[in-house]
Amino acid sequence: HSVGAGLCAAGMIAIVPGYISRSVAGSYDNEGIAIFCMLFTYYLWIKSVKTGNIYWSALCAVAYFYMVSSWGGYVFLINMIPLHVLVLMICGRFSHRVYVAYCTVYTLGTLLSMQISFVGFQPVQTSEHMLALGVFGLCQIYAFVEYLRANMTPEYFNILFKSLVIIISSIIAVGLGVLTLSGKVAPWTGRFYSLLDPSYAKNNIPIIASVSEHQPTSWSSFYFDLQILTFLFPAGLYYCFSKLTDHNIFIILYGVFAVYFAGVMVRLMLVLAPVMCILSGIAVSSSLSTYMKYLDGSGSQTKAASKQGKGRQDTNSTQQREGTAYLFVVLMTFFLVTYTTHCIWVTSEAYSSPSIVLSARSHDGGRIIFDDFREAYWWLRENTPEDAKVMSWWDYGYQITAMANRTVIVDNNTWNNTHISRVGQAMASTEDKAYEIMRELDVDYVLVIFGGLTGYSSDDINKFLWMVRIGGSTPEGEHIKEKDYYTPSGEFRVDGEGSSTLLNCLMYKMCYYRFGQVYTETGKPPGYDRVRNVVIGNKDFELDVLEEAYTSEHWIVRIYKVKDLPNRGTR
Amino acid sequence: MDVLLRPVFSVLAPPDLKLKRPGWVTTPSPYTIFFFVLVSYFLVTGGIIYDVIVEPPSVGSTTDENGHTRPVAFMPYRVNGQYIMEGLASSFMFTLGGAGFIILDQTHNPTTPKLNRIMLQFVGFGALIISFGCCWIFMRMKLPGYLHG
Repeated sequence: HSVGAGLCAAGMIAIVPGYISRSVAGSYDNEGIAIFCMLFTYYLWIKSVKTGNIYWSALCAVAYFYMVSSWGGYVFLINMIPLHVLVLMICGRFSHRVYVAYCTVYTLGTLLSMQISFVGFQPVQTSEHMLALGVFGLCQIYAFVEYLRANMTPEYFNILFKSLVIIISSIIAVGLGVLTLSGKVAPWTGRFYSLLDPSYAKNNIPIIASVSEHQPTSWSSFYFDLQILTFLFPAGLYYCFSKLTDHNIFIILYGVFAVYFAGVMVRLMLVLAPVMCILSGIAVSSSLSTYMKYLDGSGSQTKAASKQGKGRQDTNSTQQREGTAYLFVVLMTFFLVTYTTHCIWVTSEAYSSPSIVLSARSHDGGRIIFDDFREAYWWLRENTPEDAKVMSWWDYGYQITAMANRTVIVDNNTWNNTHISRVGQAMASTEDKAYEIMRELDVDYVLVIFGGLTGYSSDDINKFLWMVRIGGSTPEGEHIKEKDYYTPSGEFRVDGEGSSTLLNCLMYKMCYYRFGQVYTETGKPPGYDRVRNVVIGNKDFELDVLEEAYTSEHWIVRIYKVKDLPNRGTR
Repeated sequence: MDVLLRPVFSVLAPPDLKLKRPGWVTTPSPYTIFFFVLVSYFLVTGGIIYDVIVEPPSVGSTTDENGHTRPVAFMPYRVNGQYIMEGLASSFMFTLGGAGFIILDQTHNPTTPKLNRIMLQFVGFGALIISFGCCWIFMRMKLPGYLHG
């Protein structure tokens, strides 16, 4: 758009919290590189559309390959570029430059992306890539049609055109239908389908629905991550719409789709942040440059006016314009300054704390550090055999593997839904049933996170309903029904009113073993759970198949050893 | 190809259809599309997808010391949760801010009469300041520790 806009956008991207949340040390995921790759690919794509050179298109394909190798979100890219070409066709802006650019990018890009073993043959088999293939075909047809139109008489051309369109579109439709029905072209995978139909994951795949980053976004997440960019975004769109060019259309498309997808999943706010910054940069620089003209020009204008002795009206109006220009510039500066303070505050408060070491303020203002995670993982590392297998919920898998150096049953990759569901069934069943599952999975130690003593609210009891839902979502877990774990009135309670299934399941027993004798708060009876704010229901029980191996200092991490089969037949 | 199809068409008589595109289907102007984009922006940033999935109440309620239920406008302490009304109010503020910029941009045309210009500028600046202030206040209501660490 202009150099000023680019500089402004760059400044904003550098501090926008939406992007920082993923690239901070301690909370880093491969999206940190992926966003750079994505922006680089888009930049090269726009460049190749502008120039129509094969050189830039080839570079774009290489950047796309870089993107594919870093993040699964490349599907967004491979759908955004064909969509752009399609919109250009509809607007009548299709030219040979776009044709050259898209053909090169698609062919080279797809071939390169198939080199990655994870992607393999997906570009020709899955529905997510079909749009790109379709637009590729459409490009060829359109270009061919234009070529014919230039070389034939109009009437003859019209007949040929209409018949060709009908024949070809019916062939394509029938072909796609046959391929999808026969299973050669796989339908949309769960993760991406839930973007189009948000209620799909909630009803069918609890694992996808349970990840807290996959929840839909609320307004405060938008504002928290982006602040004034939310105001400048429509303004930037407006400036793009007033001067429609090929590349402006691309930015508009990217912006609109990014807003929708960020609204579906909080995690995709990351994809929205760069385009918000770009559009806001356009808005800021366009409006500021328009107003600055008044400030620059009015100086010389007043001199010229007074020299030629024009009426007072002119000087008044220019003074007024100066006034409004000053006001606008001051306002804009104020907005930008508050933007920086907001970003700094957000980053320091929300995105900088490590997630392994917790801290809290005691009632006299001093800080207490809870280092339980590292303490317990280190105990695991030092005091268990090297080939011990640890069962816990999948959130802690990577941590256990890295810090305790032991094999886990399921970890954050959440690759195998059935396996995780089995673990969920073990956590949600009674001790005897769970023992069978644990023998089947060959588990030596079980680890749970419990926050009732400290008031740490992201513990396993709060996550327990998800374990029940995921456990009940596969055929072996059909006897696990979520409503068994609620009270008759439909509440989830752990005190005396809680359902007996809940009070006797393995997770409950592991979390609250010996908790009934502990005093947690002054003035409350023993066994008071500080997260749920109730006294627990089932206090004095013994464990049959587990024995307590380790409990960390503040009872946050509790480790149990699975007992061997008894020597004799009866227990 | 002709030879193959001729016997078919000696039996069948194709209907004499006169199909043409209806006159009212045209490519819309950019500003129409912009209007729809703005409406969708309003809906999405208001958290409509969150509302559809999680189905929060329209406003929350607490009981105060006398036992009366009082409505609560903003879900406190949670950045990722909202009530329906608060979401729509905030996205209205976002759109208002954007509209402020757009209005200010329209005032640069030198042919508009002076009174209109002044009014438009007034409205534009007012929209900007109100929307920014309101969003700041909303955020303070949601997160009591906002900007105070």
